[in-house]
Amino acid sequence: MSPPRLLSLRLPPPWSRRAGSDAAARYDVVVIGGGHAGTEAAAAAARGGARTLLVTHKIDTIGQMSCNPSFGGIGKGHLMREVDALDGLCARLCDRSGVHYKMLNRRKGPAVWGLRAQVDRKLYKENMQKEILNTPFLTVHEGSVEDLLLKEPESEHPGKCQVSGVLLGDGSKVHAGSVILTTGTFLRGMVLIGLEKHPAGRLGDQSSTGLAQTLEKLGFAVGRLKTGTPPRLAKDTIDFSILARQWADSHPVPFSFLSETVWIKPEDQLSCYLTYTNPKVEKIIHDNLYLNNHVKETTKGPRYCPSLESKVLRFPNRIHQLWLEPEGLDSNIIYPQGMSMTLPPELQEQVITCIQGLEKAKMVQPGYGVQYDFLDPRQLTASLESRLVQRLFFAGQINGTTGYEEAAAQGIIAGINACLRVCGKPPFTISRTEGYIGVLIDDLTTLGTSEPYRMFTSRVEFRAFLRPDNADSRLTPRGFEETGCVSRQRYERTSQIKAAIEEGVAVLKSLQLPPSKWSSLIPEIVISSSRSSPVRAFDILQYPEVNMELLARIFPESLGKLAEWRELAERLKIEVVYKLCTSNQQQEMEEVRRDEALRLPENLDYFTINASLSQEMREKLDSNRPQTIGAVSRIPGITPAAILNLLRFVKTNRQRTGGIKVPFRTGRSLPERNTDVLGKSEFQSSNLSRAF
Amino acid sequence: MRAGSCGSLLRWLAKRSYGCAQQRDTVFAVSSGHGKCGVAVIRTSGPASATALRRLTGRDELPRPRAVALRRIRDPGSAEPLDRGLVVWFPGPHSFTGEDCAELHVHGGPAVVSGVLQALGRLPGLRPAEPGEFTKRAFQNGKLDLTEAEGLGDLIHAETEAQRRQALRQMEGELGQLYQRWSQELTQALAYIEAFIDFSEDDNVEEDVLTRVDTAVAQLDRELRGHLQDGRRGERLRGGVHVVIAGPPNAGKSSLLNLLCQRPAAIVSPVPGTTRDVVETTLNVGGYPVVLSDTAGLRDARDPVEQEGVSRARDRLQQADLVLAVLDAAELAPQPGRLAGALQAVLPPSPPPRPCLLVLNKADLLAEQSRGALQQACAGDTLPPACLLSCMTREGTATLLRLLGGQLQHICGDPLVGSPSLTQTRHRLHLTSCLDALGRYHRGRAGDLVLAAEELRLARRHLGRITGQVGAEDILDIVFRDFCIGK
Repeated sequence: MSPPRLLSLRLPPPWSRRAGSDAAARYDVVVIGGGHAGTEAAAAAARGGARTLLVTHKIDTIGQMSCNPSFGGIGKGHLMREVDALDGLCARLCDRSGVHYKMLNRRKGPAVWGLRAQVDRKLYKENMQKEILNTPFLTVHEGSVEDLLLKEPESEHPGKCQVSGVLLGDGSKVHAGSVILTTGTFLRGMVLIGLEKHPAGRLGDQSSTGLAQTLEKLGFAVGRLKTGTPPRLAKDTIDFSILARQWADSHPVPFSFLSETVWIKPEDQLSCYLTYTNPKVEKIIHDNLYLNNHVKETTKGPRYCPSLESKVLRFPNRIHQLWLEPEGLDSNIIYPQGMSMTLPPELQEQVITCIQGLEKAKMVQPGYGVQYDFLDPRQLTASLESRLVQRLFFAGQINGTTGYEEAAAQGIIAGINACLRVCGKPPFTISRTEGYIGVLIDDLTTLGTSEPYRMFTSRVEFRAFLRPDNADSRLTPRGFEETGCVSRQRYERTSQIKAAIEEGVAVLKSLQLPPSKWSSLIPEIVISSSRSSPVRAFDILQYPEVNMELLARIFPESLGKLAEWRELAERLKIEVVYKLCTSNQQQEMEEVRRDEALRLPENLDYFTINASLSQEMREKLDSNRPQTIGAVSRIPGITPAAILNLLRFVKTNRQRTGGIKVPFRTGRSLPERNTDVLGKSEFQSSNLSRAF
Repeated sequence: MRAGSCGSLLRWLAKRSYGCAQQRDTVFAVSSGHGKCGVAVIRTSGPASATALRRLTGRDELPRPRAVALRRIRDPGSAEPLDRGLVVWFPGPHSFTGEDCAELHVHGGPAVVSGVLQALGRLPGLRPAEPGEFTKRAFQNGKLDLTEAEGLGDLIHAETEAQRRQALRQMEGELGQLYQRWSQELTQALAYIEAFIDFSEDDNVEEDVLTRVDTAVAQLDRELRGHLQDGRRGERLRGGVHVVIAGPPNAGKSSLLNLLCQRPAAIVSPVPGTTRDVVETTLNVGGYPVVLSDTAGLRDARDPVEQEGVSRARDRLQQADLVLAVLDAAELAPQPGRLAGALQAVLPPSPPPRPCLLVLNKADLLAEQSRGALQQACAGDTLPPACLLSCMTREGTATLLRLLGGQLQHICGDPLVGSPSLTQTRHRLHLTSCLDALGRYHRGRAGDLVLAAEELRLARRHLGRITGQVGAEDILDIVFRDFCIGK
């Protein structure tokens, strides 16, 4: 089955890569912003066959890493894998741009391994721009977007209007089937250094005010967040000889499922260095708080990416770690992680020189804070489309997240869905039971956020099942079958390994020996010899001392081939270790899926519906706008009675009006995704009139 | 996992209707209503209902579907008889929830109900239902149509509200504080292990964090284990509310027993010290099953047989759910001030404070003004509810029965208002599951850390069913409060 392509009947084929502004321009999808969310969104839409336009202030900033020159980490690396499973860009490009690859959490088990890499900024940008500028169906335009074009809404969907295009800075209009906003920190972005502030999305880049005003006028609930970045230092002014060195992995693991290896030779990788703060640093910060606006003000910042000032304030009299990270192979810039500051530049320099190794360091760019508008993500559906304005999608830091990976994950979902929307197909959503992306989007759209949201494995209930190693088997088949944004090559590779794993598991289960034989063959393991019934190779593989290689030596004919395929051998081992836990959790996941299948109509006016709900419940439902019964149950303070009354109401109305129109319902062969279980019961209703 | 073909679609639909038969938990709960008639309905829903019914009735064959059958009900583990009652078997889909359901109609006293619930909870695959769960399953299986759903929400509301109040009542006092403390300690342990997982060595989260988690978990394990073991001593004996008639010799205890039973169960004679054994009889008072014990008159007996009787009386008093303290009104009338003292002599030493009713017997021998003086003395609120009675003339019987009924209702807990037995059973089961999970954490600690952390998460969830759940944000709050993390 080849992925469906959108046929555009009236317009000529895609234009030249850098289109000039033309009043008659029409695209299926317009993406505003070329950051980590924007690039994934634009590329995904284009892969699906949508004629896509990416508008950015500066083409040269496409792929720019605004803060840390690294990708991945615990939880974040997993997001990248899932984006890769859907044929996204960042994982593949990091495999071609990294200078220091390291697998975190090695000793804590495969479920939480966090692949991380220091990435050459310049190289990444080059690779990304090359990719974007050479994607079929994708056009890039340099300019700003000042306003959105709107028209009457489609009647079957909620929303007070529909986006029909964008108004560019030069006055020209671009018509679009759908629009994705990925403006990052640019909406009314304000850069703060010391007591000075000036509008900017990033140092050196203008902010967006026109769009911010448009969103406000439309009635979007908007909040304000802040983040910060450290100063940049000149590498040749740092004394590394006295500092602890951190080496990269000698066998780097690539991010992407499709990469055999990373591009760099292991021995050519760069190292990171470790230094610490000291009491002198604390003193300078304390003495100069009055000069520090950013820390003083009330806007919320990320707790897990705090500025040096807030660290010192919250945990005084301690030394704090500072990691000196290289920015690139031929770059003279060092990025001091852990040292984001908003003190005036002169004082930043003072602080720097107090630190061991940095006594003579020169500051190339000061650290600064950024404050920006963000959109309350509860106004979005699980496909990241806004409820207020049809066909308008939001992705990335604008939704209140922090991190390139979180942005990329949202970007790819928004891109896929913008494309599906224009094709008139049902949306593609990932549930909490299917991926970290699902947890991310569900947390955002159901609970909202008051500080920049970052992914942690502790947010994930089904952490033993949702692992970086199986992201492909979870997401690639669905991506291929439902969206048209995943390539056949990737799909076939995934199907192949998935089938091989299943076969491997079956073989392992079929190979049995008595416990005493196992003990003699593998003396390191402790098997209770009181058990007389044979034990399967499958169960033996659970022991930490056992791997496929070992087993293949015992059963060369059955397992030899399997053990040779190294990736398969590793994945089999991991599957087996987590098998018991994941099968225990299946029931829980089923409950969650069951709840999610009970969809609530989009356009319910919770205040006026004739259901037995208290005012308080109605308010909660209205402000959260849950889409499924599952989402309702996650709203804090919702009672079981309210849930049931809501269900009863929905069912009552369904039977009266012959079905509430649920948006995006088209003829689908996969009932699990959108089906409302509140349909006709196949069975006679019980004639026992019992009260519960 | 993804259905793509027609066959899978049908299987999926079937699974939807039956609720994924192989995997789903079977839930049980006390059904509302019927408390006053002395019958409680305990129902189960889910794939293990058939097994539960078989194990509890001790019979392999199930009764005919939807036909009421009389069965002996036993605890499957100890084979101890719990009750004789009616059972009904509803194989799905023709049942309230669409799943296999079973109903047990048992005597509604807390002891019987509690016994059955405990027995159910010990069977594999069964657990107490969460509020509203039966109705939810009925909905999921498309079983509730419009007429049946009317008013259901309100009923559920009442039940969950009442359970919430019940839970709150249970949370007040020492027990509640204990549970809260455990919750906080387990939450912190969980937060620390999550911190260790989510932040690497590069982030300043040290190895000794895990040691602290292990220590906290070991401590919690000891405390939970101790609590659960102690808990057994406090459980009510089977069969009904234990009401013990106690009092000084010849106050009229046996007469009271006979009065209540309306037949001469005990020998009544005017000579003090007649009842040597504890005379016990079960009866129905105001709809509540009661085991009534008449005891020997409590006094310093010289006769060894009588001494034995007195000591048994004291033992029985210790186990009483309710004490009917019988005093001779005529004897006390001249000095009403002695009332409190006389009562104290009769009652078992507290704690725990025991429900009590004061019966001033032989009221027919009282003069008018003495009656008034006694009533005055009773009115003080240091004394339990009291009434004047004459077993001879039957005067005051109605008042006594009313007071007794009130006390019984209070003790049994109106099932409509949330069964304390169910709450108690649920608590026990959750605490036991929590303890099991802590044990598995300890054993799995040397292996994969994520798997070990899953056990802690599970432990916390079980405890959370009693004290309230915590979300990821609560965990993160602790993480960022206690660790300086940040890049």
